[in-house]
Amino acid sequence: MSAYGDSQLNKHWIALLLVLLYQPMSSVMATEFAELDRALQIHGFLTQAYVKTTENSFFGDSQDGSWDFRELGVNTSYRFSPQIFASAQLLSRDAGEMYDGSLDLDYAQIDTTLYMQDADRFGVILGRYKNPFGLYNDTRDVAATRPSIFMPQAIYWDRVRNMVLSNDGAQLFGDLQIDSHRLSLRLIGGRTPIDENVEKSYLNPVLDPKLKQDGLTVGGRLLYEWDGGRFRLAYSSASLQLDGETNMLPDGTIDIDYRVVSAEYNSGNWSLTAEYMQEPLDYTGFAGALDIADTTLDGYYLQGTYRLRDDLELIARYEESHYDKGDKRGEKTGQRLGLDAHNFYSRFSTLGILWEATDGLILRTEFSRVDGTIFLSNLENPSPNDKSREWNLFSLLISYSF
Amino acid sequence: MTTAYRAFAVGLLLCFCNTASSVELVANRDIDSEIVSQNTLRSIFSMRMTQWPNGTPIRVFVMGDKTKQHSEFTKHILGVFPHQLRRAWNRQIYSGMGQAPIKVQSETEMLEQIENTSGAIGYLPEDLINERVRRLSVE
Repeated sequence: MSAYGDSQLNKHWIALLLVLLYQPMSSVMATEFAELDRALQIHGFLTQAYVKTTENSFFGDSQDGSWDFRELGVNTSYRFSPQIFASAQLLSRDAGEMYDGSLDLDYAQIDTTLYMQDADRFGVILGRYKNPFGLYNDTRDVAATRPSIFMPQAIYWDRVRNMVLSNDGAQLFGDLQIDSHRLSLRLIGGRTPIDENVEKSYLNPVLDPKLKQDGLTVGGRLLYEWDGGRFRLAYSSASLQLDGETNMLPDGTIDIDYRVVSAEYNSGNWSLTAEYMQEPLDYTGFAGALDIADTTLDGYYLQGTYRLRDDLELIARYEESHYDKGDKRGEKTGQRLGLDAHNFYSRFSTLGILWEATDGLILRTEFSRVDGTIFLSNLENPSPNDKSREWNLFSLLISYSF
Repeated sequence: MTTAYRAFAVGLLLCFCNTASSVELVANRDIDSEIVSQNTLRSIFSMRMTQWPNGTPIRVFVMGDKTKQHSEFTKHILGVFPHQLRRAWNRQIYSGMGQAPIKVQSETEMLEQIENTSGAIGYLPEDLINERVRRLSVE
């Protein structure tokens, strides 16, 4: 399902971007192009994965083996001066029933640095930008920058990906470097694209829910880095309010907060990463019928990677998600809402290997054991009681980026 | 016991510092500084710093990720692994926050680009460095 595909604004932007991409190739002389090359860059990526599960559907009909996970992106950027920079990316993402591969404008932004002194800067970004949440959100769809075939679902849910992916609005950024310490602050304010994945995750699909954002998403991230990224620590947060309409209940609103604490330590061939997320949900209106769903979700993961060789990396990760942070095995929630407990938690262990075959080509394979079904999409697994609590996941991925 | 650890740590440091790196940091002649700090260098090579203190736009040149020269430069002069630097670039390139460095195919092309591009910075083996480029030392 595409978040932006239908918007008029989106179509205009895509048309403009295609013209811009095409222009340098056709009408500019080769010598001029070499000059332009210094300021103009074009990059992209193509990713294809294969997903096989023993039970349940994840990124397609995975019980039969699914090829329905594909990501294509192309971007262009132009540096007008050290202070002014523009960039835009088109993305097609096919992810089972969750995303249909239609072309989206992933970001289109103008970045103006108002103050610059060596590595210190302060400035503003306008347009559609990727939200700087946690360590990975802003490049979560690029196989070469994420840590594994699938993002850690405990923090980076695929079933509600668009709720945190990007914003249309403004972002303030500031970087401060003191010796080997670097502080980086980003403050965001804008409108969040809401799609059917979000609607059918926060409201029961049988209610035929429609959600519209009320006001702006506001939030930001404070990141501390030491010794060129040897140690990184971050706090991210965002809040938004959604107005909901259903076919059965009076209208209501959902208040969503999203907070992530992140830490990473890199030492030679080792890298250790941990992130913890909390998401308080507050339903009001709907004639009080959904007050029962008020909760604070939480989740975390611990991840270790080890470089065996310059081009080979092992990864191991354990993650847990809970619908109610006080009910780790979903038993109380299950009883209250009349559903199996496994719908309200998951415990997820993954082992995998990455091979960087050439500068741009990577291959990954991973195996996971999962207990619980909380992060499975309602669009892919429509009936909550048909999901199986324990399942295994095997996946392969090939990706080329330039 | 503590002494043994300390001796080991000192040994590691010595190993690290003494590793002869066969490439040196170089820049275009229009760059007036001769010394850069390692922190500044990391900001430059991770593509976060876009202009020299004198206002000239910075142009970063590198060789392929898998070349010996690039590996030596990143490990011994920048103090990071090539795959870490690549991830830092990718994070910028695919989130719209920055650009990739300019890739050259050979040492001779590196020399040509550093000589002829205003604001250029890169690395070269000792024996290729001539008076038409500026050698920078890292403090």
